[in-house]
Amino acid sequence: MAERQRVCVVGLDGVPIGLLERLADAGVMPNIAARIAAGHLRPMRASLPEISAVSWTSFMTGVQPGEHGIFGFTDVNPGTYQLEFPNFSQVEAPTLWDRLGKRGLHSVVLNQPATYPARTIPGVLVSGFVAVDLSRSVKPLKWLGTLRRQDYRIDIDTGRARSDHDWLFQDLHYTLESRGAALGRLWDEEDWDFMQVVVTGTDRLYHYLWDAVENPDHPRHAQALDYHRAVDRFVGQIWDRFAADAAEPEKHFWMLSDHGFCAIKQEVQLNALLREQGYLGLEGGGTDLTAIDPSSRAFALDPGRIQIHLRGRYARGAVAAAEVANLKVELADAFRSLRYHGEPVIRDVHDAADLYHGQCAERGPDLVLLAHPGFDLKASPTATEIFSRTDLVGMHTWDDAFLLAPYPIEDEQLWIGDIAGHLEREFEN
Amino acid sequence: MKGFTLWFTGLSGSGKSTLSQALEPVLLERGVKIEILDGDEVRTNLSKGLGFSKEDRDTNVRRIGFVANLLSRNNVVAITAAISPYAEIRDEIRARTANFVEVYTECSIDELTRRDPKGLYKKALAGEILNFTGVSDPYEAPENPEIVVNTETETLEESLDKIIRSLELMGLIPAGEDNHTSAEEEVVIRQRLQSLGYL
Repeated sequence: MAERQRVCVVGLDGVPIGLLERLADAGVMPNIAARIAAGHLRPMRASLPEISAVSWTSFMTGVQPGEHGIFGFTDVNPGTYQLEFPNFSQVEAPTLWDRLGKRGLHSVVLNQPATYPARTIPGVLVSGFVAVDLSRSVKPLKWLGTLRRQDYRIDIDTGRARSDHDWLFQDLHYTLESRGAALGRLWDEEDWDFMQVVVTGTDRLYHYLWDAVENPDHPRHAQALDYHRAVDRFVGQIWDRFAADAAEPEKHFWMLSDHGFCAIKQEVQLNALLREQGYLGLEGGGTDLTAIDPSSRAFALDPGRIQIHLRGRYARGAVAAAEVANLKVELADAFRSLRYHGEPVIRDVHDAADLYHGQCAERGPDLVLLAHPGFDLKASPTATEIFSRTDLVGMHTWDDAFLLAPYPIEDEQLWIGDIAGHLEREFEN
Repeated sequence: MKGFTLWFTGLSGSGKSTLSQALEPVLLERGVKIEILDGDEVRTNLSKGLGFSKEDRDTNVRRIGFVANLLSRNNVVAITAAISPYAEIRDEIRARTANFVEVYTECSIDELTRRDPKGLYKKALAGEILNFTGVSDPYEAPENPEIVVNTETETLEESLDKIIRSLELMGLIPAGEDNHTSAEEEVVIRQRLQSLGYL
């Protein structure tokens, strides 16, 4: 029996607890079923907004967006109104791996979303989505050659996979295999204390073929299950390694997802609503927010972030600080009143002042909307219809992510940012 | 920022000068003041006239160490790239130099003979050059260097990264990351986000 105390975390991006339980019970994921039987599975909340960039950043830092500074995949430059893409360097809180490193502990982190471009951590970091260039996704660079020689894939080709579902499955399996190969080398060659790997193919599959996962009559249902079998084997291989290499492995093995998923009933274009109700205008047929009319009072950013067009914050801001409180109430009422064939669309309107605190909170949105499952919030500035559908079939959900912990955690409001503290405490005994 | 001495040691052709030169721009970018004391250059200036007997070699290395110490105690990073074959002299310099970081550029004689851009190893092995370190003169590899790079198995980039990371972890240089997302990358990121239904 190994004596080295180690901790292992496997992330399954976007896997909701209900699906995980169903596939484990049905024998599709027997390795995960065994881990569930040995551990404590429970639902967990994602961040708000419930997207990977925010949720995984809360996981890796243990703090909420007001403190780490990542509120979405995009932000708007307050001077130019151009979209910007916040990256890992803008995360303003130390990561779990940094904190473990201060105690002399060595982490290996493979395919962690929202860590591009990679920076030096006490150990090895291989960035995940939205990583572009492998040479900027690997720290230290001594691993770059190995990963290149292994034809390591950061992610599937989502551009092609969205419309070519044969390619989607082929690429999902290839990417998972390359991840496994990379993990094997890192596992064997690094002297690690903390190991973490994230499978992101699940999220991709659900965006494009959630219906195939859910519906046994779907022509690609068998392929969707096969991919889950492959993910299960991947987890099984990790467990076998961990069981061989770690002391009391069942006490230090964790799994989690960063949000859940459900089927889309309708996509909901929030900026179309804001335009329809006179809160937002674009000048001269503009196609993005750089053409925002100075009289605009609010605009939306993906997925449910509402920004007040505040004077002093934005170059053309029209709203005085004194008007903000009333405007928030007005907007919240407008969103709460939104119906689709009589069905309410918005489950909660959060005032960001209640939701976020910390040194970055002022950079965040003013309201954060949480939709009822099935209503996928979008923020195209030019959309004219509030309700529409595209070829996408799956959307993120907030409160049905999962946590599989080695001990029971009794907290009804457990959210993904709580997990870092638990992981750190693993090394305190 | 405090100065330090980055002392490369290794056989001729093992990559000391190459790594020193590759380090220079990286460290300059991080606001570090640098002087490189390259073995060959030192011998044409500071140590002109010295030969390759053990005594002369020791004198040469001590002079390099003396200057490196002057520089590093004035908050300049001194990078030395001399074979410095004898452990005793290196340890002597270590003892009197604040923030002494020894970097061993490990490489086998077989590989060095294969590289041999100046044909020196071939001549030394044929007995045409006397007192050639590693062939006809001893080289005492460091027992506990702060950093070891194996230039036979690692790429230049990998060795460089190892040195930089070690210096970062020792707190001798600030963490410097290329954290800018380029316009080309933003195009790709935008496409990826769109393909998943964002934007």
